[in-house]
Amino acid sequence: MPEAQQSEKGFDAEMAEKIVECDGGGPIPGTKLAGRQEFVGRATGEYIDHGDPPWRWYLVADLTLKPDGYPGDTVWCESGSLYTKTD
Amino acid sequence: MPKDPLHTKLCDMLGIEFPIVAFTHCKDVVAAVVNAGAFAVLGEAMHKPDEIAADIKWIRDKVDGKPFGIDLVLPASAPPAGALKELEKEIPESHRQFANEIKKKHNVPEPKGEQALHQWGGLNQEMARAQLDVVLEERVPVFTSGLGNPAFILEAAHSRGIKVFGLIGKTRQAAREIEDGVDAIIAQGTDAAGHTGPVGTFSIVPEVAAIAGDTPIIAAGGVTTGQHLAAALCLGASGVWTGTLWLACRESDSDMIIKEKLIAATSDDTVYSRSVSGMPMRTLKCPWTTEWAAPDAPKTLSAPYQMLLSSDYIQAANDHRREDLMFEAAGQGVSFVTSMKPAKQIVIDLVEEALDTFDRLTSESPVATG
Repeated sequence: MPEAQQSEKGFDAEMAEKIVECDGGGPIPGTKLAGRQEFVGRATGEYIDHGDPPWRWYLVADLTLKPDGYPGDTVWCESGSLYTKTD
Repeated sequence: MPKDPLHTKLCDMLGIEFPIVAFTHCKDVVAAVVNAGAFAVLGEAMHKPDEIAADIKWIRDKVDGKPFGIDLVLPASAPPAGALKELEKEIPESHRQFANEIKKKHNVPEPKGEQALHQWGGLNQEMARAQLDVVLEERVPVFTSGLGNPAFILEAAHSRGIKVFGLIGKTRQAAREIEDGVDAIIAQGTDAAGHTGPVGTFSIVPEVAAIAGDTPIIAAGGVTTGQHLAAALCLGASGVWTGTLWLACRESDSDMIIKEKLIAATSDDTVYSRSVSGMPMRTLKCPWTTEWAAPDAPKTLSAPYQMLLSSDYIQAANDHRREDLMFEAAGQGVSFVTSMKPAKQIVIDLVEEALDTFDRLTSESPVATG
């Protein structure tokens, strides 16, 4: 089995303050399925990389679009599923 | 028309006879489909890394070197972390009360054991990364990303001889993944089971095919017959991704009650609902989905809160094998799931139906119109 890999936090100044959309979602706990969720907000620039090759996630704040009932004002979005509003 | 309309670039890429991909959570179905000349992908999103490694070994032992795939769900968004117990405290009392009313009205018993939701513990970024590492280490022939962009893993996968397919629900996702270099795109329409995007199969497939260049497109969503296979190829796909079709097959480990419900179901019996998880998914209708669709029902909560509400119902329904309560994810093509055939027979039927369809289309005389 592979060993557990490290995570590393950082700040991406180029990403900070950009308005972004996230084609998000994830597995549905307790089922074999997944679901899609959409978010729009402001990238803070904070990121976290998991493993090698690094899998990068950005923190998105000030959400102007989020799923009904989503309680938070922030969400972590996988970089490959994140689109700047100009994309 | 080519001599064999079913021989596509997906067949060449994978070395398979038929451009049919079975998505299943059952290893026996994978082995049966692969050995019948098609391709199969095992959904492993809810399995721990050591379980995935064991399943890969089991399949390898059964398929004599033929290719197969492993599907993981790469989470694309995640709320700030919180323990389940803490999250449960945030569920509004009105929603708890409504869930309890449903349970009382439909005489839903208590689950027999610990809820699967709690046993499993949930997928976080670290767990998803550990699952991926098993796929890389085991050099699985094909890795499919059921949700989320697999771009970051492409180089590592390709260097190990692993092909990477991405499942998308929007054309812009396909455009990005094609540019990133995935080996195939699974374009999934809203007719599909489980998690789906909002676009129909007949729209998303040709839209993605138009931008795909040489990248094969696999059509997903509502595909359950050979006519669907023929139609998908006409839309520009190089193959089809099928899920619901295998749930009731002989080798499937689905509960017999679920198999019988699927066989009896028509497209009218599926519902696109957020009531199970807070995320949109298509399932067979059941009392839970029906009650939450009522005009006086509260608005569903987001994930993971809605799942915390529904998990008692789901676990109890399955634990007690209550036919009236149980449900399963199912696509709109469920109407065509009409018997418990062996997986090999399903492959043969799909192929023959598709070839008949092409024959009919090319042999019929033009109809005169006034």
